[in-house]
Amino acid sequence: MKNEKHNKNLKAALTLATTALFSTAQAGAVPLPSDTPTEDTWSFDSAFLYYSEAERVSAAEAIFNAKKNYSDDSTLNLKLTVDVLTGASANGAVAQPNVQTFTRPSGKGDYNVKAGDTPLDDTFKDTRVQLNGQWSQVLAQNYTGSVGAHISKEYDYLSLGVNGNLAYDFNKKNSTISFGLSHFQDTFSPEGGIPKPFASMPLSYGQYDDNGNNSTKNIHDATRMSSDDNKTTSDIMVGFTQVINRRMVTQFNYSHSVVDGYLTDPFKVLSLVDSRGITQDYLYENRPDKRTKQSVFAQSKYHFDETILDVSYRYMWDDWKVESHTLDSRIYIPLGDGSYLEPHLRFYQQTAAEFYQPFLMQSDVFPEFASADYRIGEMTAYTVGLKYGMKLDGGNDLSFRFEYYRQNSESAGHKAPGALASLALYESVDAIIVQVSYSF
Amino acid sequence: MNKTRKIIVIKRADGFCIQFDAMASACEIIAEIDDEFLANKIGTTVSEEVWRIEDKYSRYNPQSLCSKINQSCGKPITIDDETFALLNFADTCFQLSDGVFDLTSGVLRKIWRFDCSDNIPSHGAIVKEMKNIGWRKVEYNDTEIFLPKDMEIDFGGIGKEYAVDRALLLIKTLTNQPVLVNLGGDLATNSARKNGEPWQVGVEHPGFIDKKTMVVSLYKGALATSGDAKRFLLKKGTRYSHILNAKTGWPIENAPRSITVSAPQCIQAGLLATLAQMQGDNAEQFLSEQEIKHWAIR
Repeated sequence: MKNEKHNKNLKAALTLATTALFSTAQAGAVPLPSDTPTEDTWSFDSAFLYYSEAERVSAAEAIFNAKKNYSDDSTLNLKLTVDVLTGASANGAVAQPNVQTFTRPSGKGDYNVKAGDTPLDDTFKDTRVQLNGQWSQVLAQNYTGSVGAHISKEYDYLSLGVNGNLAYDFNKKNSTISFGLSHFQDTFSPEGGIPKPFASMPLSYGQYDDNGNNSTKNIHDATRMSSDDNKTTSDIMVGFTQVINRRMVTQFNYSHSVVDGYLTDPFKVLSLVDSRGITQDYLYENRPDKRTKQSVFAQSKYHFDETILDVSYRYMWDDWKVESHTLDSRIYIPLGDGSYLEPHLRFYQQTAAEFYQPFLMQSDVFPEFASADYRIGEMTAYTVGLKYGMKLDGGNDLSFRFEYYRQNSESAGHKAPGALASLALYESVDAIIVQVSYSF
Repeated sequence: MNKTRKIIVIKRADGFCIQFDAMASACEIIAEIDDEFLANKIGTTVSEEVWRIEDKYSRYNPQSLCSKINQSCGKPITIDDETFALLNFADTCFQLSDGVFDLTSGVLRKIWRFDCSDNIPSHGAIVKEMKNIGWRKVEYNDTEIFLPKDMEIDFGGIGKEYAVDRALLLIKTLTNQPVLVNLGGDLATNSARKNGEPWQVGVEHPGFIDKKTMVVSLYKGALATSGDAKRFLLKKGTRYSHILNAKTGWPIENAPRSITVSAPQCIQAGLLATLAQMQGDNAEQFLSEQEIKHWAIR
């Protein structure tokens, strides 16, 4: 190598040899795809989810997600969700020592509830079709913008939404600030109309034609104020993501949400009980027509040598005086060959809305707002789950998720008089969730 | 080599980081992309390619083609186009280095054990082993290789660098967004980072207790490092690096402890780093004269 001339030619000779190596080596190596899919690739995810509460609601959901990646880093995401809900849902009334009869929300029939049972409305059946579209692209160096639209249609419900988001990367892309806005417009047109606040549940007009001539129907209609109603939801979200080091990334979000309009559940009633705890009437619930929610969210992912720990916490509070804490954690454990296990643990705790009460007392001053909907009552819930994912031969992903959910409703300090003292007012809900996902 | 092979895909603020183990090294792909699906695809494609090369050319794997050739006892072994191309490349390296780089020099490792001791083999042992070295004794064509009995070939000097370049070729078919492939210190990228800045690469030297990680910048192309952080012998003040001169059977004296070279392709960078080491005292001068960007630690 002392030869000066030899040295000078070294670089050129090496380049030549390298070119030869990579132009001929490919026959024995894995061939390079000839039709280079660098531009405009589609990827698809599909999932089927089954959710079943013991003796209550079951839901089957199918999700299909299509994502198109453009060569300039823009992406188009389209997601179709179809879910079917069936089963029974608590109607808000309390259990009684005797059989109770309720008019179905449509007014065209009734159902009985056994003594001692929490009243469940078994007419719950709905199919929802939801379509989401999201476009995101780089607007300028370090700025990414995204806009989206949402439409969701159920038999008696229509939801339309738009959103926009802007993200700014800085600090060598180790930090990201994002700002988002969204707006939803929902219309609710339940069969049987929207009940007047605190109207007594009317008798059903059952088998009679609803031609307006029969007096039972007239009584029913007198409890209704309109055939449909609306609400709007406006959200502002500010987020901050920070890469701490190569093993850890954290995220913080704050969101402010204002919901305006018809926020009452037209299917929910409250039992009006006397001092002995015996129901005298069922009154339709009534909620304020505005709700302002705020939440803070923190998430941290930590990557150990192999496993990844993902922990998040959310604190939500609103002017209905509902406060909730959500603690969620997952551990990603790779098993080799692209398969993995992911245990999941979630804990949720919520205080009751200030107008929540499990029933109304005849002797009490009549409130301005009241609801016995357990979903805005005091509760704790936890989820324990396990996901198993695997890589299929073609490089596609298949995963299975199984989760158990338990929700315990608790007394928010309301006294149970007479007969109610010995009846279950706060029932727990058990549910299982099974999901199968496939990406290709 | 049926140990568990897995890749880990980690979401980071600026994209994805994919990690796996191959060729006795920690391997990492950094992809400045948002698409998790694409990141997974890149991770799977690259790791499978690297493992494929390892399975085919590792001399530690008894099932490998390399082992088959080494155990052929003088019988011809069938080879494919890829192996033929690699042998041609090695042949060019042999000629460019005037015989200092030799694919058959691996047998010297039987007598040279670089354990930081002063355990220098005897002259007789070296002369004996030198009989089993010599690229010119190897015959091959595009379908067969014939390796004389008691000789061995070893792709260790170019295998990992070759895998880096193959990985980059595959990545270019999947994306043109910035991706960096790092196979245990031998690395290459298809482009500068999205923010227009170069990749900052830490060249680690596990054996250098008192030295900090050296950080080098890379806009495009490849880097390879040849070092002897923990693999050397020391006798009477002379430091013998683990780089062996196939012509003499002796290690190179006074080579830099580590040399990192930048080149358009990793296999070139790797070879240049090795050839520079073989210049001993003149290593840096050798690279400077040829205007090859490098970083040396003495």
